[in-house]
Amino acid sequence: MTHQPWERLDNASNIFLAARTDSDPKVFRVTAELKHNVDQAILQQAVDEVYDRYPLYHAVLRRGVFWHYLQDSTLRPEVTTEQLPTCAPIYDSGRRTLLFRVTHYRQRINLEVFHALSDGTGALWFLTDVIAAYLQRHDPQPAEASTENQQTSLIQELTRDSFAEYFRPKHPSKKRARPPWKTDTTETDLRQPKTRKTTYFKGAYRIKGTRTPDHRTRLIELTVPAKPILALAHGESVSPTIYLTAMFFEALRTAAQPVGQSMTYGASIPVNLRQFFPSTSARNFFATVRIEHTYGSGDNDGVGCVARHLEQQFRTKATPEALETKLRRFSRFERMVAVRVVPRQIKDVLLRWINWGNNRGLTVAVSNLGRVNLPDPIEPFVHRMAFHVTAVRPQFCVMTHAGMMTISFTSPYVETDHVREFARHLRSLGVPVSVAAPRVTEEHLASVDEAQ
Amino acid sequence: MTPNSQRNTCPSCSIHVEGDWVQCPLCCTDLTGPATVNPFPAVPLSFSRKKVFQVLVWTSFLLIFASLIVQLLFTHRDPQLGIWRIIWLGLATMWLVVLMAIRKRHNVAKGTVYLVAIIGLLCTYWDYLTGWHGWSLTYVVPIVCGAAILAVLISVRLMRMPVGDHIVYSGLTALMGTVPVVFWLLNWVYEPLPSTICGLLSVVTLVLLQLSRGSYVRHELAKRLHL
Repeated sequence: MTHQPWERLDNASNIFLAARTDSDPKVFRVTAELKHNVDQAILQQAVDEVYDRYPLYHAVLRRGVFWHYLQDSTLRPEVTTEQLPTCAPIYDSGRRTLLFRVTHYRQRINLEVFHALSDGTGALWFLTDVIAAYLQRHDPQPAEASTENQQTSLIQELTRDSFAEYFRPKHPSKKRARPPWKTDTTETDLRQPKTRKTTYFKGAYRIKGTRTPDHRTRLIELTVPAKPILALAHGESVSPTIYLTAMFFEALRTAAQPVGQSMTYGASIPVNLRQFFPSTSARNFFATVRIEHTYGSGDNDGVGCVARHLEQQFRTKATPEALETKLRRFSRFERMVAVRVVPRQIKDVLLRWINWGNNRGLTVAVSNLGRVNLPDPIEPFVHRMAFHVTAVRPQFCVMTHAGMMTISFTSPYVETDHVREFARHLRSLGVPVSVAAPRVTEEHLASVDEAQ
Repeated sequence: MTPNSQRNTCPSCSIHVEGDWVQCPLCCTDLTGPATVNPFPAVPLSFSRKKVFQVLVWTSFLLIFASLIVQLLFTHRDPQLGIWRIIWLGLATMWLVVLMAIRKRHNVAKGTVYLVAIIGLLCTYWDYLTGWHGWSLTYVVPIVCGAAILAVLISVRLMRMPVGDHIVYSGLTALMGTVPVVFWLLNWVYEPLPSTICGLLSVVTLVLLQLSRGSYVRHELAKRLHL
């Protein structure tokens, strides 16, 4: 008998535990659509093989007196066909279960992860290895080469908490990890971005709607060719994420003109910290940036103009210096003795309040995992890739693969007017759009029963 | 991919719709063109009963707590009350014990700690309400604590429970076993034998735990109490 290893939760994960609700269980899904139907037995073997290389994915979540923590387990993942609504709750405090699930349906392999375990980038590494292992068994052609692409170098680092590594003050004798962008001269610059604004608590326009009958996530997946979107974004000298966010704002305005509501639209955008602070940890390592636009304030409210305004804010807030300042503040707060000695239940209530306050300033959330480059041997076998996350408010997640951009809208509400306007806007720009959506309401499901 | 001309299309939105939708999922206009295979399964609606149970459990706790507090309004000298109070307290206690046993059913050792605490506190309160004869501290608490130590020691072995899952609770039951000794030292008990036996059992268990499972105890405490 040995002691079961355990790990503290990272800085970002605690908020996911406190903020989860029935309609937003803080689960995300990364999907790969293959060019053939998935074989469950082979997928199970592939998952078993990759699972052994990812110690982080063995973890179960447990409750301590002061904090939650991750504990190693001897559980094994079981691959199933997709039987639950997308991103169904994974963590149940009463049961000790793994914090991810792998399912498949026709050509799709889905990896669903509880957000306290890992972020999109970490999950994508796991899924890429699963696809490689699957194709290696399914089609021996790409086999030999694909093994080179396994993320084996990650093995030792999966449990590393990069937040602690970069942003937590350490004992003076221990040297803190130093990001490569930082030179000695930048040390003083860190103190500059002290323009802390109270914008988070400024009310933004918030969408209301009819909740889905059993709290399942309303998902609408739009697939579009990536090139025209990139061209449109480059035409305005903004990033595709920001351009799509401006289009999203416009779609919301067109779908339902708010009367007596705030004209400020706020968006939360996660930034992958690995690009500034090198890390091979599969655990959460991102920070969110809030950007906003107030319509009718005299400026031009066209999509291009709004996008440029948003881009300007994003560039200021998403610099490594600004992010480091913000995360150090979070880390200091988390390490305060007065906070640490508070029992977990009270911490959760406080975090829930903080989260509620933050939500008041947000209209939507947007996340872009960017262009996914799979290892060469498996690239031709994968058609489309997508990801989405459960939502407390309407949001979209973007992923691009093989020239196809998948924009996945999720919402706790049945209404899809904003997606309709978004799709029509794309069509008006000459971009072909394909829509995929799971059935959510009783009427949707009744139509399937009738057809059968 | 299916050629564009052969795909389900929404004439209103000018978009292709994947799957066998009859109407556009975005604008509810009837689609034209043949259906394609569904990229998602049609998952039937499911309604969790968890919320209902949660409400029932918390309502129960509230009622039990209220019925215990209400007892303070009646004096023990009221001859009419005697049997009704016993029935009332008996029902409240039984209901609380059942709720606790159900809620903590996944870990017998943890459940035992909760039960010892509940039974000990309720009996002491009961004793106080009925005129403070001292039977709770003299007999009930030592007997329940002593029995709990033995019960946990036996059940975790029979159930082959992993050490990490029970060690803290085994330690806690043993620690609780020392409490009757404190009552004895404070002269709150009129018969010292039950407290003495319970105290001895507790000390022996604590020493054995420290000798055989000391590192597990330290590991578990470091994990559960980490700041």
